[in-house]
Amino acid sequence: MGKLFDVALVFEYMPVILSRFPVTLLIVSTSIIGGTLLGFLIALVRLYRVPVLNPAVVSYISFIRGTPVIIQMFLVYYGFPLLLLQVGININRWDKLYFVLISYMLNNAAFMAEIIRSAIASVPAGQTEAAHSVGLSGFQTLRRIVLPQAFFTAFPAFGTRVVNTLESTSLAFTLGILDMLGQAQAIGVRTYHLLEGYVVVALVFIAASMLLEKGFAWMERRLIPN
Amino acid sequence: MIQVKGVRKSFGKNEVLKGVDLNVKKGEVVVILGPSGSGKTTLLRCVNFLEIADDGDLTIGDLSVRFKHATKKEILRVRRRTAMVFQNYNLFNNKNAIENVMEGLVTARKVPAADAYATAKKELDKVGLSDKYDAYPSQLSGGQQQRVAIARAVSLNPEVILFDEPTSALDPELVGEVLAVMRAVAREGITMIVVTHEMSFAHDIADHVVFMDAGVIVEEGTPKEIFTNPREARTKQFLDRILLKYDYSI
Repeated sequence: MGKLFDVALVFEYMPVILSRFPVTLLIVSTSIIGGTLLGFLIALVRLYRVPVLNPAVVSYISFIRGTPVIIQMFLVYYGFPLLLLQVGININRWDKLYFVLISYMLNNAAFMAEIIRSAIASVPAGQTEAAHSVGLSGFQTLRRIVLPQAFFTAFPAFGTRVVNTLESTSLAFTLGILDMLGQAQAIGVRTYHLLEGYVVVALVFIAASMLLEKGFAWMERRLIPN
Repeated sequence: MIQVKGVRKSFGKNEVLKGVDLNVKKGEVVVILGPSGSGKTTLLRCVNFLEIADDGDLTIGDLSVRFKHATKKEILRVRRRTAMVFQNYNLFNNKNAIENVMEGLVTARKVPAADAYATAKKELDKVGLSDKYDAYPSQLSGGQQQRVAIARAVSLNPEVILFDEPTSALDPELVGEVLAVMRAVAREGITMIVVTHEMSFAHDIADHVVFMDAGVIVEEGTPKEIFTNPREARTKQFLDRILLKYDYSI
């Protein structure tokens, strides 16, 4: 059986596990981009109190915030196909990864919506009034005055969200996705050396999130005037 | 020229404007006085639809609208004939001084950027800020910000500029520079409706003074009539309090 923890194995597993990092990146990037776009629409629904849609998105947000990601993922994975089967669409043969991407995107949409909504709401009403007073339309006011200011407010929270998403992607292995954690698990089952794999995964996550945090801090300094 | 007729506005159960009529001739400076809560600011805000009045009519030049039924297009048209200077300046925080002045010209009025830039420069020079084109609002003093705001309003060449307590948020030593700019604007013959507590400005510059209290116009007339010979007890009481004509004799 050998040693309980073999440092040499950490180096041996590193490249194999690291080769699954693109899966993690894919989940993070698609869910952040898709979630931000969808979240922006949800934020507008809430800010303009669009009838019918507003109460719907309010419950959506509280559902997403009130349930663990892993439950949301299971609901999407097992529930969506059943739901769509009712209307005659069969997605049972879809790759599991699609369900993971959809889950994380829906999850991020709710959090992004709240980040964007509160950032827009934090722009003082006087800014909108001044824009109206010089003759800007509602849309022009939003695009040229409110959103640029809201962007700076939202940016730090946005960065935090990206890092949170990175960490939470590790749950995808519960659906059998072969990401870094899935790979570590697979190695462990074969060699009985689980711990070395987990250490590798931890190291990669620490490095990646530190890189992201530094990157966002740098962008914040560069982007935000004064 | 500018006519407000029968404007009414309530916030919940609180009726702030109880049927106010106001006539302003072209080139006239009208100063609205009154205690806080009398509806002065609400009246101004109704004129450019920052508040939607419950009732009444508005005429600006050849444009007539009913407050209650104004369409989005009509509101935009009214706003493009008016400009406003706010108590808290409300400069666009994401834009520097010259961009603040250019924004309405370029985005709302579709003036070519080069022309708007020239206009903005000229107006900033006139308010004494030729060295502050690139300064952001956070880098300017309150007085400087308000002068940019006045340049922004004047550059739009509106039919009337509405001033909502333009010096109330300023440190006392900065009030003078803003009032001086407002005097210069008045001398150019621009129509102004000014809500203020600056009695010297009202006395020296106004063509017409309106005294409001509790949502109605109590009294109006020339500065001389209002300041030296007010007819209404409420006007007299207000002026005495503001001008500190207390009698401390025992």
